[in-house]
Amino acid sequence: MQDRPRADELAEAVREFIETEVLPTIDDPRLRFRALVAANGLGILEREIAVGAPLVRREVGALMRLLGSADSVPDDLDELRRRASDLNRELSRRIRAGDAPEGTLVHLLATVADKLRVASPRYLERYR
Amino acid sequence: MTRDRGQDVSVELRERLIPLFGGDIAIERLALLAGGASKEAWALDLRTPQGTRLLLVRRAGGGVIHQQTLSLEHECRLLEVAYAAGVRAPQPYGYLGEIVGRPAFVSERVSGETIGRRIAQRPELAGARAVLPAQMAEELAKIHAIPADRVPFLEAGGPHDVLTRLERELDSVEEPHPAIELGLAWAKSRAPDRGDVVVLHGDLRVGNLAVTEAGLGHVLDWEFAHLGDPTEDVAWPLVRAWRFGVDQMRLGGIGEVEPYLERYNALSGRHISLASLDYWEIVGNLKWAIGALTQARRHLSGQQRSVELAVIGRLAAEMEFELLHLLERAG
Repeated sequence: MQDRPRADELAEAVREFIETEVLPTIDDPRLRFRALVAANGLGILEREIAVGAPLVRREVGALMRLLGSADSVPDDLDELRRRASDLNRELSRRIRAGDAPEGTLVHLLATVADKLRVASPRYLERYR
Repeated sequence: MTRDRGQDVSVELRERLIPLFGGDIAIERLALLAGGASKEAWALDLRTPQGTRLLLVRRAGGGVIHQQTLSLEHECRLLEVAYAAGVRAPQPYGYLGEIVGRPAFVSERVSGETIGRRIAQRPELAGARAVLPAQMAEELAKIHAIPADRVPFLEAGGPHDVLTRLERELDSVEEPHPAIELGLAWAKSRAPDRGDVVVLHGDLRVGNLAVTEAGLGHVLDWEFAHLGDPTEDVAWPLVRAWRFGVDQMRLGGIGEVEPYLERYNALSGRHISLASLDYWEIVGNLKWAIGALTQARRHLSGQQRSVELAVIGRLAAEMEFELLHLLERAG
């Protein structure tokens, strides 16, 4: 067990440092842009730590329903990620073979929206 | 870049510029504007008997050149042909051969706003936004009229070849992307037959234009030029990622599509329909979604370590989401 700050708290601390102490001192517009991107990357990390696990669990459940898989949903997070990757590979293969399951578009809209909840929540709001 | 290497560049550069500008020249300022593993850009102020010239030197970087982009020699040649055809391209002065071991060419250095978000949103550029749609159509019509035999090094492909190439690039990412697969499957079943094959800029959009308050100054970033269906180029600036937050303005966050398309059709004599723009807008989103994934691989593989390239791998989901909405609407 690691001591505090937790991983999300550390990412937050570094992001706040970039935003409040580093960015105001940068004049070079290209460096400034990369510093903003770096802060954004830490924001993604914070959100993934907060909601990544439940989202990948939800994705695996949805993929199993879509593909008619009767396996059990694993508990372990690494195992879940592997399963999500395998099922996405299977879905990709079927789409390319012209054999997309009924409901694929609706499934993908929900799954990609979940990816954006971590990667770019403000982008998601632009579709409301 | 160390001082020594910068000086080597300066010395060799001056020698190569003599055949173009004469022997009575001096480098007043040479500054690296953008580094990176693939290509560098240097601002060069050159004193000549006619006065100081503001120049731009494009030079290969130390890393692996991005696949599917023109070599610097070909990019320079294309600029020469486009400039001679009356396209508002920066005036190229010549290919320089290798400068300290890397190929380079020199062109005029143009001014104007190039940052997409500012062009789409700044109040002082409202007048420019009013005229940009017609001006973009005019430049595209001129580029598409360039005789392909003047630029024999450009690669050609029909609508199906575009999709085959995208599928191959997606496979190289080695990560499953069912949303992109769905878009590719949709596009394959609706790809138009091979029609006109013309010279395409390949990346003409807000963000790759130098814009002044009077409107379009210059068309930049020619390295993705190839031969293909003209509609590919006409639809590219419609892709939502190039609207820079002004989503309701379908043409690059600056204007409506209809007057732009009308102007293009009038000048080119073509009859591109809104429906075929819809098709190529979907292909454009596929292109940029896959482009974002491959850019992230440049970072992940160590080819070009960059926080910007790393984060863009996560932003491919934005293009996937837009793609799915376009597919839903297209049915």
